[in-house]
Amino acid sequence: MELPIKLSKESREPIYHQIENQLKALIAGGHLPADAPLPSIRVLSKDLETSVITIRRAYQNLEYQGFIRTSQGKGTFVAEIEESLKQEVKVSAVYQTIEHAVETAFSYDYTLEQIEEIFQEVLMEYKKKGE
Amino acid sequence: MNRIAEISQAEKTIDDFHLGPINIEIKPGTITALVGNNGSGKSTLLKLLMNLAKPDKGNIRISEKLVFGPDESWKTQVSYQPQTVIGWNAFTGNTLKEFISPLYPDWDDSLFTKMAKLFDIPLNKRFGKLSQGVQQKLNLALTVPRNTPLVLLDEPTSFMDIPSKKHFIDLLADWMDDGNRAIVMTSHQSADIMKLADYLYVLQGGKMIGTYEKDELIGSYLQYWMKGEMPALPIPGELSREHQRLITCSPEAAEAFFQENDLTFTSAVPLDLEEIISLLLTERKER
Repeated sequence: MELPIKLSKESREPIYHQIENQLKALIAGGHLPADAPLPSIRVLSKDLETSVITIRRAYQNLEYQGFIRTSQGKGTFVAEIEESLKQEVKVSAVYQTIEHAVETAFSYDYTLEQIEEIFQEVLMEYKKKGE
Repeated sequence: MNRIAEISQAEKTIDDFHLGPINIEIKPGTITALVGNNGSGKSTLLKLLMNLAKPDKGNIRISEKLVFGPDESWKTQVSYQPQTVIGWNAFTGNTLKEFISPLYPDWDDSLFTKMAKLFDIPLNKRFGKLSQGVQQKLNLALTVPRNTPLVLLDEPTSFMDIPSKKHFIDLLADWMDDGNRAIVMTSHQSADIMKLADYLYVLQGGKMIGTYEKDELIGSYLQYWMKGEMPALPIPGELSREHQRLITCSPEAAEAFFQENDLTFTSAVPLDLEEIISLLLTERKER
């Protein structure tokens, strides 16, 4: 099974962390339900062109945080996670995306006021579409 | 973690070529790619492991047995796919399988059948009559199903078509799932290395340059496109510069240097593995 994970080589975020966060988002967003099997470490390392060391690190962190569970000889599965944890992941994903947008705007020398204007405009567009 | 194979301080001179000293340890669950120019000693290293070449110095162990010792039980613990096989031309795939399979207690006949089907190998045709690509596929179908803890592959995909390469890489990844096996392979195909290797063992002119964990190696090189003036002095770890582009093998120190000297860059992009290997191999030549 191929997972919709896309690594960014340009990003300053370490590869294992990108994998970890994208898997969390897939789990919190319900794309990977509880008990869904995950690819083996070796197969995911092949698909994402990393070493097994990197995937193992991502899986270990996810297991430690309760997102996945490994059963000896059977493989790795999505764990049953609490609604509050899902919410946490979702909120932090949205925060990070907005933060990233602000950083991009800063790198083009926009002021906070200008960024706020753009943000309002984008929101207005969506409101119009919604009506 | 225990080890499957180990070479320590091995050296070998063949005519005017000197290999070594070679040190390498192979652990279960890992895939190591031997990387180097033609004639750098990759194939000789595999032959040392198989006791097909005897070292002048040093020790070589597979499953803790010295390969040149009297106890030959290690031979069922390793399978080897050489670039060219000698003596197979007169035999069909089926016959070769009858020769080889009884030698390996864990021979997996269903895997052999699966590979023959996957690669479309005519098992009733003599080896000598097959094309180079099909010979390579048959050779692999007679190697991987031996299910030995250690597999040595010498340029396994060099003659393969693109879909077969993909199938083969997928198959090896599944085969490695067991977790107790290890592969040592030589390859000039960077796609093979990207998809399969965990470690790169880099050789140049018979000398070992180093063992690198793949992602760590890739992460340790960075190229910058500088804004405005280029630094007058070499930056930390500088490997090359042309126009506005700088390549360094110590990005952290380089960025600290940029900050101290009020230098700015427009973008920082990692190098791909081919560029890194080229740098590793040319950088040394100049020293």
